[in-house]
Amino acid sequence: MQGDSTTPHPFTKPPLPGGGPASGYANMPVIKVPGWYGTIAWDALLNGMATGLFMAAAVGELGAPVVFTAVAKVAYPVALVLLLVDLGLLVLDLGDPLRFHHMLRVFKPGSPMSVGTWCLTIFSLPLTAAAGLSVLAELGIDFEWARILAVVVGLLPGFGSAAYKGVLLSTNAQPGWKDARWMGAYLTNSAVLMGCGELLGLSTLMGQTQATGILRTAFIVLLVLNMIPLGLLFANLQPTHARLYTWEQQWRVGVFIFAAGTLIPLGLTLLNGGLRVSFGAVIFLLLGSWIIRFVFVKIPHTSPPEI
Amino acid sequence: MASREKELSALTQASDPPRGRLSELVGRLIYPFLRGEPPKPRTPTGFYTDTTVCIGCKACEVACKQWNQLPSDGFEWSGNSYDNTAELSATSWRHVKFIEQFSDGLSGTRVSLDVAPNEPDLNRWLMMSDVCKHCLAAPCHQACPTGAIIHNEFQNVYIQADICNGCSCCVASCPFGVITRSSMGGHSHKCTLCYDRQRDGLEPACAKACPTQSIHFGPIDELREQARKRVEELHRRGVPQAYLYGDAASQTYSELHSFYLLVDRPSVYGLPDTPVNPWLHMMGDYARSIVGGLVAIGALLAVVFLLRP
Repeated sequence: MQGDSTTPHPFTKPPLPGGGPASGYANMPVIKVPGWYGTIAWDALLNGMATGLFMAAAVGELGAPVVFTAVAKVAYPVALVLLLVDLGLLVLDLGDPLRFHHMLRVFKPGSPMSVGTWCLTIFSLPLTAAAGLSVLAELGIDFEWARILAVVVGLLPGFGSAAYKGVLLSTNAQPGWKDARWMGAYLTNSAVLMGCGELLGLSTLMGQTQATGILRTAFIVLLVLNMIPLGLLFANLQPTHARLYTWEQQWRVGVFIFAAGTLIPLGLTLLNGGLRVSFGAVIFLLLGSWIIRFVFVKIPHTSPPEI
Repeated sequence: MASREKELSALTQASDPPRGRLSELVGRLIYPFLRGEPPKPRTPTGFYTDTTVCIGCKACEVACKQWNQLPSDGFEWSGNSYDNTAELSATSWRHVKFIEQFSDGLSGTRVSLDVAPNEPDLNRWLMMSDVCKHCLAAPCHQACPTGAIIHNEFQNVYIQADICNGCSCCVASCPFGVITRSSMGGHSHKCTLCYDRQRDGLEPACAKACPTQSIHFGPIDELREQARKRVEELHRRGVPQAYLYGDAASQTYSELHSFYLLVDRPSVYGLPDTPVNPWLHMMGDYARSIVGGLVAIGALLAVVFLLRP
């Protein structure tokens, strides 16, 4: 965060002295790193999985109800479980978890965390309703109109819950994070991709052949599409990565992420295999997605290599 | 005295009646939502720290610790000159920095007190008492999702300790590395600019204790005027490097209500040369985030519509 130490401060009128033999604190870190680490990487993954699954199921069900209603009714309860685990991690990551509700005493549009908290809180209500009504429908108590209403109401806060996370991670002063202009775009895009993958897994498991066929095509399209924000994000982070890692390390991680998160899922999906192949594709996608989040969250905690 | 304290503590407190678990839980849930009458704005105050007269006595650190009843951080030799405080933290709200600028070949040379304009200033000590910058547009204030961080009536950045829940957004967003989450209690803490003393018409403990008047406290406009005169005086007296850091806004950061007179690059003092407010990018980041999501949803929807039976 030191910036270019030879650049004079904007208010400096007289010429500043050149770097003397003793540079004082110039080579010491200025920024304090928050205690956001492994929990936050899991949070970023689960947030995307929960919101993405809901959005994919909702889009499918609203676009082609005949094909997707059965799988969507299973997807909403799964999304709720994922969201509850995610919320648990978020609460546990606080310095004082018993004060979690203090987040709801104000709404600050300028604070991504505040926007996210409100979106997640509001989203949890229609998601719970959609999940509960889906379970009730399986038990023979069907309130179809109420379930569809809950799905429609949940779309906007669900999208907001996916969209805030990347902005929260890029709107701060941390090295690397502060330069990640495409983090939000990647995470939101990735959430829909992961949701599509999860829905593909569920539909394959349930033997919903029509839904599986459509989702397989959508999954391939989204996998290719996701490479754009991912590439732009890596371009944002390249200067930071170059400072922290050797070329060899960067290439190794980059190739691994590309292979695990894109190429293998793409290849497996194109194989058009059965249940195991579809599950393999989804698991590789989730693994790649987790590694990307982990590598990103790790940046401020990483020291440059000793030369 | 001790027996009187025991006597008093044994009495039933009229303002804090004994409560059952349920009422305590309800009270705890409701408490953060209760709002008092906000105080009327007063003249904005701040610090102006003239590093050229700092002697590194650490009286400010001690006074701050004492007045604010901050616990000890223990003691460890840092190996960095006389700086064993190491950093600003949840329990150290003042940090005196020491910079030894000595050329190896000239280490035995005596330095003249009459500094000539063209003389190299290699053999010198730089000392600076660092503190929260009380930024006018403070990233920590913008980041705080609980509303615990406020600008109080003196336009100082203040953390309401009973509201903070330790989310660390403020820690992540401060470009000066000031705020820290305490391991005791898990809440964030930093300099309050002695809010309690100011309300009683007193100056902050550090400024009161400073024996060389390196730390100036007062109305921010007066401080700026005073600081600019001091810079002009130093220029006249052969210190052309003297300048003010943070007295006015830049393109990327607001003015600081705790600003400094420095004689070397900001980074030498452990300050960012060009501080950037992270919120400058927020709207663009939101736009990209939304577009990224909408494109994916649009693609999914298109495939569903095209392939549905």
